[in-house]
Amino acid sequence: MWLGHTVKVDRAERVSTETADRSQVRRAVLLLAGLLVVLLMVAPIARQPLSGTEPLLPAYAAAIFVSEMVTVALLLALFGVQRSWALLALAGGYLFSGLTVIPWAFTFPDVFPGWAVGDGLQTTASIAAFRRLGFPLFVLAYALLRDRPPVHGSASWPIAGVIAGVTGVALGATGLIIVGDDVLPRFMTDKRNVAAVWFVVPPATIVLYACGLGLLLRRPLSVLDLWLVVVLCTLLIELVLLSYVSAGLRLGVGWWVGRACGLLSATIMLLVLLLETTSLYARLARSVAAERRGRNNRITTMEVLSASIAHEVKQPLASMVTNADAGLRWLAKEPPRSDEAKAALGRIVRDGHRASRVIESVRAMYTKGSQERVAVDLNARIEEVVEAYESEFRLSGISVETDLEPMLPLVLGNPAQLHQVACNLIDNAVEAMRPVAGRRRLLRATSRRRSDGEVVVSIEDTGTGLDPAHGEDIFEPFFTTKPDGMGMGLMFCRSVVEAHGGRLWASANIPHGAVLTFSLPEAGEEG
Amino acid sequence: MGSETPLVYIVDDDPSVRESLDSLLRSVGLAVLVFETGQAFLDAERADVPSCLILDVRLPGSSGLEFQRQLASSELAPPIVFITAHGDVPMSVAAMKAGAVEFLTKPFRDQDLLDAVQRAVRLDRDARAEAAVTAGLRDRFAMLTPREREILALVTDGRMNKQIAGDLKLSEVTVKVHRAQVMQKLQANSLADLVRIADRLAGATRRHKAADTKA
Repeated sequence: MWLGHTVKVDRAERVSTETADRSQVRRAVLLLAGLLVVLLMVAPIARQPLSGTEPLLPAYAAAIFVSEMVTVALLLALFGVQRSWALLALAGGYLFSGLTVIPWAFTFPDVFPGWAVGDGLQTTASIAAFRRLGFPLFVLAYALLRDRPPVHGSASWPIAGVIAGVTGVALGATGLIIVGDDVLPRFMTDKRNVAAVWFVVPPATIVLYACGLGLLLRRPLSVLDLWLVVVLCTLLIELVLLSYVSAGLRLGVGWWVGRACGLLSATIMLLVLLLETTSLYARLARSVAAERRGRNNRITTMEVLSASIAHEVKQPLASMVTNADAGLRWLAKEPPRSDEAKAALGRIVRDGHRASRVIESVRAMYTKGSQERVAVDLNARIEEVVEAYESEFRLSGISVETDLEPMLPLVLGNPAQLHQVACNLIDNAVEAMRPVAGRRRLLRATSRRRSDGEVVVSIEDTGTGLDPAHGEDIFEPFFTTKPDGMGMGLMFCRSVVEAHGGRLWASANIPHGAVLTFSLPEAGEEG
Repeated sequence: MGSETPLVYIVDDDPSVRESLDSLLRSVGLAVLVFETGQAFLDAERADVPSCLILDVRLPGSSGLEFQRQLASSELAPPIVFITAHGDVPMSVAAMKAGAVEFLTKPFRDQDLLDAVQRAVRLDRDARAEAAVTAGLRDRFAMLTPREREILALVTDGRMNKQIAGDLKLSEVTVKVHRAQVMQKLQANSLADLVRIADRLAGATRRHKAADTKA
């Protein structure tokens, strides 16, 4: 058997894969620099207590909760499109963070006085520690999962699994913390001041943040990576403010500024996702317009071409008919004018040859340079065309797989014509999948070497498939099932492939769609 | 006038089409003149006989339709029969609206073309006869004195001799003399005749002015 490998072609510009550009890096650096300045300014007054600010806390928690939940929704939607495990992990992280902020606020001393649950002295600090140590673990998972191949099959199960798992862990753990206040480490000495044990948590968190940053920075940053780095740095600044600058004192100036940093970090990802989605939409709209223009141009070119061929052929045909009519009339005269009739016949002969030359030149136009053959790497051609159709695939929601045999033998042929064949076949596949809903739109391009010295290329789609009633008609000129088609595509493909000594045929794809396959002889052999 | 051999002009950039049309039209006894371009046709001296123009829609330089518009502004342009290898409907509608006699797509039946040519020639012959009558009238009108022209205008407005005399401060007898002169010079036998002639002259002048402003 042949040695095959599968390449997932997924070149769509996306927030999670597109490399961050200079201006984005600059904005990120400026933001962090600004936060550092704030940190330095706050440092001298950080330990000043701000009494009576407890009522602000529920509002703060609610803001964090809402923005993190929206972030979760956006990340899960992105996962639904891209099926990347890393995105799922990140969504889990935000879900975890958003869910744990609620019990944290509820159990905060003096925020909801009189509530029986969770007023143990250690509860709030324990939840905070759990939350703070948990989130970077999800970021680590994100960084590690970036290179994993995408999820196959349905996106709903992984999403449901992550939501159930994270919710279970977050609620279970906070529940245990609330119930088991007595056995928890002694983080707090009283409602406002932390004990020595608490100072184990920040260094551990910092180590986790550093690991996350290290993993993220290992390779060029995507837009999402970049802002995740910013999020970690912001969290780091928050931690420094909370634990060191204000020495763990709750509800002081430093503490509140730190909390503001926390809110900022929770909203950064949300804003980035929203902004990127909007600009992505604008780019898509632009490329749709460009694609439509290109399509119109192609159709117009074909119309002009066929009209001009018709004109060129009709011109000598018209003279032939008129000359024949004139000749008949000259002969019908009394006496017959054989000299004029003879001249008319001579002109008919000349016009007949001219019409034939017109047809010949049209043929030559299509087969131009067909004698001149060079060695063509079909794999490279296919990849080129697939790349060229990238925006078309993205717009039509089509995933593409290329399954190209390595070390595919070269074929002898006209590169431009073979390129056009690949374009037409992919065009047809895309058109066939446009009306498809409710199942995956997948285009697969494969190349194989066959033992009989032929190279075989197939383009499979999961589109509407072939109507058996049409049979071989699809290869006839001007046959089309497309509302705006010219019907020239497959006819052209077949004539090119046959001119190269190959064959082109269509078959059904299982369970849906069509496969168009062509074979070409290897370059080594004659024929 | 009716016995003159009609003349068919052909403007087509394709020499084989020109030759075949030339042969066909001569075989039915028509005189033919062929031109490669519209400009060559405009530059040529045109004989004063009933004629028609066979015009290809696709011409080098300006299109046949453009040429049709150009020609419409000149006096006594021959009626046009269009031929085309394109056969597109909007184009033929535009041509017919602009006054073409027929629009034929190549290849056409010879009888269709000959019928169209005959129709066009007949139209041109009528137009020429009409123009000749008008030209005669105009010559006769030119012989009228300014006073006689004034009186012609008032008479055809339906005013009585007495009223005209009052308008122009002349005696009624003088008006009668002028009026008799007008009738004689314009070869009118009755008042009704005179009104018809005046109408015709006015119409010709209007057409003339319209053509001038178009040009």
